[in-house]
Amino acid sequence: MALPITYNVRNVFIRWRATLATILGVALVVAVYVLIQSMAAGLEKSSQNTGDPRNVMIVRKGSTAESSSQVKREQFKLIEYLPGIALDAKGRPLVSGDVVVLITLPRRANAGEANVMLRGISPAGIALRPQVELVEGRWFTPGKREIVVSRRLAARFANFEVGGRFKTGGKELNVVGITDGHNTAFDSEIWMDADEARSVFDRENYSSVLVRSASPEAAKAIADRVESDKRLPLRAMLETEYYASQTMTAVPIRILGKFLAFAMSIGAVFAAMNTMYASVGSRTREIGTLRVLGYRRRAILVSFLIEGAFLAFLGGALGCLISLPMHGYAIGTFNMQSFSETVFQFRITPLLVVKGLVFSVIVGLVGSLLPAMRAARLPVISALKSV
Amino acid sequence: MTIGTFILKNALRNKRRATLSILSVAVSLFLLTTLLVALRELTVPPEGEGAALRVIVRSKVSIANSLPARQRPIIERIPGVEAVSPFSWFGGQFKDEEATTFGQFAVDPRTFKKIFVEGKISPEAYQLFETDRQACIVGRITADKYKFKPGDRISLASTIYPVTLEFKIAGIYSGSVDDRNLFFNDKYLNESIGDPGEVGTWWIKVRSADDMPHVISAINHAFENTADEVRAESERAFQLSFISMMGNIKLFIGSICTVVVFTLILVAASTMSMAIRERFRELAVLKALGFRRRELFTFILAESFGLAMFGALLGVGGAYCLYTFGNIAHMTNGIFITSEVTPKILGAGFLVASSLGIISAIAPAIAVARMSVVNGLKTLD
Amino acid sequence: MAGENIVSIRNLSKIYLQGEINVTALHNISLDIQSGEFLTLMGPSGSGKSTLLHIIAGIDRPTGGECRVQSVDVTRLNESELADWRNQNVGFVFQTFNLIPVLTAYENVELPLLLTRLGRNQRRHQVNTALELVGLSERAHHLPRQLSGGQEQRVAIARALVTFPSLLVADEPTGNLDSQSAHDVLGLLQTLSRSGKTVIMVTHDPKAAAFGSRTIHLEKGELSN
Repeated sequence: MALPITYNVRNVFIRWRATLATILGVALVVAVYVLIQSMAAGLEKSSQNTGDPRNVMIVRKGSTAESSSQVKREQFKLIEYLPGIALDAKGRPLVSGDVVVLITLPRRANAGEANVMLRGISPAGIALRPQVELVEGRWFTPGKREIVVSRRLAARFANFEVGGRFKTGGKELNVVGITDGHNTAFDSEIWMDADEARSVFDRENYSSVLVRSASPEAAKAIADRVESDKRLPLRAMLETEYYASQTMTAVPIRILGKFLAFAMSIGAVFAAMNTMYASVGSRTREIGTLRVLGYRRRAILVSFLIEGAFLAFLGGALGCLISLPMHGYAIGTFNMQSFSETVFQFRITPLLVVKGLVFSVIVGLVGSLLPAMRAARLPVISALKSV
Repeated sequence: MTIGTFILKNALRNKRRATLSILSVAVSLFLLTTLLVALRELTVPPEGEGAALRVIVRSKVSIANSLPARQRPIIERIPGVEAVSPFSWFGGQFKDEEATTFGQFAVDPRTFKKIFVEGKISPEAYQLFETDRQACIVGRITADKYKFKPGDRISLASTIYPVTLEFKIAGIYSGSVDDRNLFFNDKYLNESIGDPGEVGTWWIKVRSADDMPHVISAINHAFENTADEVRAESERAFQLSFISMMGNIKLFIGSICTVVVFTLILVAASTMSMAIRERFRELAVLKALGFRRRELFTFILAESFGLAMFGALLGVGGAYCLYTFGNIAHMTNGIFITSEVTPKILGAGFLVASSLGIISAIAPAIAVARMSVVNGLKTLD
Repeated sequence: MAGENIVSIRNLSKIYLQGEINVTALHNISLDIQSGEFLTLMGPSGSGKSTLLHIIAGIDRPTGGECRVQSVDVTRLNESELADWRNQNVGFVFQTFNLIPVLTAYENVELPLLLTRLGRNQRRHQVNTALELVGLSERAHHLPRQLSGGQEQRVAIARALVTFPSLLVADEPTGNLDSQSAHDVLGLLQTLSRSGKTVIMVTHDPKAAAFGSRTIHLEKGELSN
């Protein structure tokens, strides 16, 4: 038979001066955990979000990113007329050859420089990526040195506003429009006309080719066909798969998050332990009384475990609460795979909140185990005699 | 018994609480020290011996853009330039590792040795490197990690160039700040990709520190308004620009450090205050016996300061020993190769511990100051 | 049934180790207590009166002898059995009241009932009955710190009564009370005993002992006179 939970809950609140610091400590540990994991989740999400399941992405075999891939003109021509490729209204194959170039540009507010991913794209290419929407200004005109930038990059880099201009490759480019990639990898790109890009950066080859098929199954068939063709030293996969695999940068963040959470939780466990020992220490007479009334050792043990868990849970809930405002906040980091600045958002999912709360409860349980055992082992009479 | 032993006995009265307090301080300070060391490693790259006299030239578009080989003779003719070598990132994957932790660079062995002065290698090994086109030299750390020996053949698949090359290890070098890299002959690379006449970047040695500024401006100027504009900068500036690309990593780790410190102070201070509040009765008795407030403050402060310092010794000291005497390259699988615990970092750790000792004493000290003897003696809790 | 022996003690001894010395708290005590008695145990400090009370109430064990309460030998029960036995058969009143500070008077009195299988309504009925018996029904939802010392002790008595135990045991119940409250509490105990409860009380105050029906003296662990 158990002690009523109200007993534990009220004790936690009554002893608030002693428990407050521990609750805050647990809150901070959980907040750090949630925030770092939400960064990793945000990075992964923007990758997983990207792509149309009917598209096939083709890059050079052996390259890990578009920016280091080359697809030759002859290879492009062979791809264009593969069976299974969807046709546009005019009967032309929906195929786009893109030129991807990394350019170093200054950030706003003198915050140094970073690499930005520039994509030279054809009108067909824009159609193949319906996730990207023009929100301000207009699209670039083919044949002109015009460029559109993603909204998220516009917030971070100098001259990225409609009417702005910057120099790269010895040529000046004009910003004519702003796009919104809707939380995909395209949020970290700037686009211009493919032929212009080739001329500005002196590129003979394409970086990648994107192909639309009638259905995801047809896409798979095209990908297999490209990969098995001996004439084409190329790698082909569904566009969604390509972007989903670009999440390597999230891995070190997750590792950092787990390490920090573990290390900080040790301190939190000690704090919980101390608080609970003090709690037990000041309630020895109470414990003795409960034993006299007939409560068994186990009931006392469980009661203090619950109290410790509840205490830590309050901290966990507080920690999640103070992290929530960061949900959706946009940040950028250097992406190892694309070698350019990638913008993403903190992403706090319900599952992550649950994980944070569970984590806090575990800290509370571990921390109160020894004090609870101590409480349960108190001999009745000395408990009654204690001052 | 002296006042000192009295304080000591008091502190150790509740051994368990004292231990927990010390341990929680120690763990948090260990973490803090680790974060500060990692932050420093990420943002303050180690300066190579020869770095003061070296210049890196990259394409103005970005480092990922290549430069034409025909730029070399132009650079070599600039007064103050002692040696020029191509320096191209190969980006090779070793076996089926997902992320290869050592860099590979294509260079010109003849001029390379004039530039890479801190790398020490046997003359015979380097001669082999110069003469055998497929030869390469590997840094000690990577050689140890994969157990390479001179004569071994290894194969690397480039993620940048459409080739997989097989190299023969001519020798192992050591003595530089980053003994992980592999250097091979850029002629071998060029042959394999059909000689496009390009390099990744230029690595240059200047004659003296005085020559550096005008060499840099001369190089930048020489290719202005050409199809391949360059950015020449000192090696140090180049390293720092890489770091600035990582954005606000300093801010990020810095804020984590702040949170850790704050949590630590919060938790440990409350723990120690709790301990002292429990002993109000004794303090009341001492007051009744004639000890003055000032002396009681000293007891409290000495105890909390002592606990904090002990924790600091364990935490900061432990981290110091681990990172100074441990093999960090081994522990982090080659991601970090040095881990210096500078006096500044040690100082920060002990400063935090001192603040902790003082802050923990504040609340109890105030309570003691306010306490009347009668009320203190009545305290039964 | 009144008149029968409710407690039978034979050759009860208690020796315990204090540091390195053997201390004899009780030596060869034999005693019968009848149902409905209001028995006071008196003696100087260290006489063993509290120890005897603890053994009868099942919160301490003797080193020799036996103690039967309603034909159950409490000295042979194991710890869990003792806990259950205490819950049903003993109501303990402490000098320091020992109410749980975070629970209301009602909740404090309810505590022993949570260990039984009684439903909420039945429990409510018993708690209210107990509170009425001690005259504190209007204070049911007050916390201990909102009560006077005398009121706290009466709540404690209600708690001791709530499972209708056969024994009511009190260790210096008036030690922390002013004389008026002490008088009220002792009167209450007397009333309870006259209505059939067996009350065993330890006290050092002869005025308190006067409320009892029989007084026993202990000295150095043995019954005297």
